[in-house]
Amino acid sequence: MSYNVAVCVKPVPDPKHYDKVTIDPVKKTITRTGIPTLVNPVDKSAIEAGLQLREHYGGSVIVVSMAPPNADEILREVLAMGADEAYLLSDRAFGGADTLATSYTLYHGLKKIEAAKGYSFDFILCGSESADGATAQVSSQLGEWLGYPHLWNVFELEGTPGKEGGGEKETFSMKTKMENGYMEWTAHIPLVLGVAREIRKPRFTSIMGIMKAKNKPLTVWGRADLDAAEDTYLGLKGSPTQPGEIFSPDLKRSGELFTGTPEAIVGRVVTVLRSNGVVIGG
Amino acid sequence: MSKKIWVHAEVVDDKIANVAFELLSKAHELAAAMGDGTEVEATLVGSGLEKEAARLAEWGAKTIYLADDPDLRMYSPLTFVPILAEVAATHRPDIYLFGATAIGSALGPAVAARLKTGTAAHCVDLRINEDKKLVALVPSFGGKVIGEILCPAQNPQMASIKPGIFTKKDPVPVPLRIEKLDSSVWKKLDTQGLKPVNVVRRPPQGLPLNEAEVVVCGGFGIGSQENWQLLEKLAQYLGGATACTRPAVDEGWSGEHCMVGTSGQSIRPKVYIGFGISGATHHICGMNESGIVISVNRDEEAPIFEVSDVRIVADVNSILPLLLDAVKPKASW
Amino acid sequence: MHFFEFTEEQKMLRKAIREFVEAEIAPKAAEWDEQDACPVDLMKKMGELGVNGIFVPEQYGGAGQGFVARAICLEEISRYSAGLGIAMMTHHMGPYPILLFGTEEQKKKYLPDLCSGKKIGGLAVTEPGGGSDFSGQKATGEKKDGGWVLNGRKCFITNSHIADVTVLTAKTGVDDKGRNKLSAFIVEKGTKGFEPGRKEHKLGLRGSVTGDVVLTDVTVPEDALLGKEGGGAKIGMEAIGEVGRAGMSAICVGILRGCVEEAVKFANERVVYGKPIAKLQAVQFEVAKIRADYEAARLLTYYAAGLKDAGIPCANEVATAKYVSTETAVASSKRLMDLMGGYGVINEYPVGRFLRDALASIPSGGTSHIMQIIMAANTLSGFQP
Repeated sequence: MSYNVAVCVKPVPDPKHYDKVTIDPVKKTITRTGIPTLVNPVDKSAIEAGLQLREHYGGSVIVVSMAPPNADEILREVLAMGADEAYLLSDRAFGGADTLATSYTLYHGLKKIEAAKGYSFDFILCGSESADGATAQVSSQLGEWLGYPHLWNVFELEGTPGKEGGGEKETFSMKTKMENGYMEWTAHIPLVLGVAREIRKPRFTSIMGIMKAKNKPLTVWGRADLDAAEDTYLGLKGSPTQPGEIFSPDLKRSGELFTGTPEAIVGRVVTVLRSNGVVIGG
Repeated sequence: MSKKIWVHAEVVDDKIANVAFELLSKAHELAAAMGDGTEVEATLVGSGLEKEAARLAEWGAKTIYLADDPDLRMYSPLTFVPILAEVAATHRPDIYLFGATAIGSALGPAVAARLKTGTAAHCVDLRINEDKKLVALVPSFGGKVIGEILCPAQNPQMASIKPGIFTKKDPVPVPLRIEKLDSSVWKKLDTQGLKPVNVVRRPPQGLPLNEAEVVVCGGFGIGSQENWQLLEKLAQYLGGATACTRPAVDEGWSGEHCMVGTSGQSIRPKVYIGFGISGATHHICGMNESGIVISVNRDEEAPIFEVSDVRIVADVNSILPLLLDAVKPKASW
Repeated sequence: MHFFEFTEEQKMLRKAIREFVEAEIAPKAAEWDEQDACPVDLMKKMGELGVNGIFVPEQYGGAGQGFVARAICLEEISRYSAGLGIAMMTHHMGPYPILLFGTEEQKKKYLPDLCSGKKIGGLAVTEPGGGSDFSGQKATGEKKDGGWVLNGRKCFITNSHIADVTVLTAKTGVDDKGRNKLSAFIVEKGTKGFEPGRKEHKLGLRGSVTGDVVLTDVTVPEDALLGKEGGGAKIGMEAIGEVGRAGMSAICVGILRGCVEEAVKFANERVVYGKPIAKLQAVQFEVAKIRADYEAARLLTYYAAGLKDAGIPCANEVATAKYVSTETAVASSKRLMDLMGGYGVINEYPVGRFLRDALASIPSGGTSHIMQIIMAANTLSGFQP
């Protein structure tokens, strides 16, 4: 049994340089000048999981991204890592999309690829979240558009062969991260998985891979190519959420002196920890 | 019809998770801002939860929409998503809040997709604007930017919030009113494709230093191997990792693998707590991008205090054991 | 003119190598230096990336790139570990002469494993009598029973203890004018009588193994001869002249980039009298000088590599690049050390290692004096601007 795998990837500004992100006080836009773009780090783990599925079972790994036109460079890198083909969904009409509109666009991209290929995808893999927006919502919402079972934060994925000749499908066992533990699942394809970094350690790109990538197909599709998609759900206009003001959090170190009895100090520290999102007593 | 704010109450080990009460407390604040008798209600899915449901009423959930069935004991998107989407489509809440937990982070956006509505992820605050709409404050670029997210044209306006962001306030009890959902909703679902098997709890394990959101760092002022072990326990309780400075390595309390500084690792956790650290330049270079910095040192002139949000001038021994006790996990959560 | 820019593939290659280096080399470089341990397994792993056979055509298992690509790899590796840089660059001197002078059988036999990382290469030419007194070599090769018997001692041989395939030179006779005739041989690890000898304790470029190679009645078959009998001098000179020196040059470009990056980091982070020292003009002057050294070394190194890829003789350009890169790497790492004050001599910072590695790069592949002699000869025999 071979599997057709689609991996959704996102180009993001290099997280190592987020200290250089600033807000233009006049235009109220985010300035990220000089920050290099790279493949969202956890998406590489998703690609690796896809490549290993292909190496183990046979099949294909196709990468899909909704991004500006210059993302072709990033997709070329993903091809160099070993993916078979890449599709870039790029159009002004897709711009400003929130996660619902993004997942809708990806959904139509996937459907269109399936139609072109004459098969349907068995696995649709995404990184669990993007480094920049970090909403972690796209994989679940893509699962809903496709009407497939979906899991998020999957950190283990193993297949168990179905019964020989019994026509039984391969069963996949998975683990998803939970607070203080994990959850175990069994499933059959098709599946949409938002994967955690631990799922597979991404391979390093080889120079031979870079040379091979030159001749691999990279298709760019615009609004017109996704003919089945409705404008209602595309881009900024099709996004139910809309951005408001943006601002920088105050990062100055206040240097507040905590005084009093050790008990009082510890009490205040616990409050500070809680208000910074640390789960205490959990 | 009065407006409604919903909270989805997540169940962990057959108990309602704390984040539900935190969200209910915030929901009351939002309801007051919306006015016109806006009501706070809750959804609850699981097995054998009627008793637990009463706790939601204690925190002011006027109606509790309960799907209770042994088949629903464990979360699955194939059951929870359609159940919540259907009940929300029927009762049309204005706002619907989820905990940004492992389950809530997957469940919330899936419900939103079914309802074709918007949801703001991992909010750090929520408020109601002059149009009586929900404004969610959402961090991006690793917390460098905070953006407002609105969902002006669709209901429910959804949002997910990490546990611990809002404070669980005092109870505001209301009479218990449970609306049981009809089991035909989930009995008819095809759940063959994906089955939850088991939930395994394990004590939080040491995270790689550069991935930990909380880092507890020790320097020369730690004083002893015994204190170092307390430090490691503290990191474990807080779900974080331990780090150290060069002198702590030299003393043999810790290893180079967790040394922070120019020759060690650079870290940027959300919370950095330093004990007995003087703050040499090469250490500060490795931690200065941490979210919030809490420092404990006997020497009020220690340079570490210049880059600290919270300064505690005290001996490590007077603070560390007490803090450890204060954050120790409770028997049940 | 064409201005200097990498091709799209070269840029991708640089990004890929940099990613590998930052993940696998940067965190361990100081440890390799401290313990003088050569990460042989990691070197072998780099074969999978294509670094080990970077300039070898794909038909022999290589990456099919050239010497610009090789310089990119060596610069990236040496940005963090010049020690591993020289181990890799010396490995290249194994497959290079085989590719250039080997028979089809020799190429098929050795190149695939040297490219894949299964085997590490080396080149053994220098003897206790000196490296630049090339024809004064005392190691001998005698024809016997249809094969060769090799005897002698080579010293200052990088990869001496880790190479699986070594190309070496030995005296196989005397010509009509009484001059030594040298021949080159391919000798495999494990051949009887072929043993690494003492291991040197080096000032810099630690993490690479340098030592003696001892030949005691080493019997090799006839087809161990590389190239023509008597062609060893040319083979050795080609490997050292255009590959070895070019490699040292690229390694020092890596060290110089390390100097620039560490200078930026330190100048921005070190606060004196309430402001980062980067605000002080005296510091800015030093940063500018370090940057200028890096840019000059980089242009010369990639220019020479470009000539090599274009098949244009470049011994003078390689010598110039090597001279400038190694000398400025010494000057700039010292400059950075001065700029850092007390921190400069603390081993938690890499600058001390940069200086030691730069100093050790000068004699590797020919000293600055030798480079100057080559450049002077080329200049005096007909300087054409």
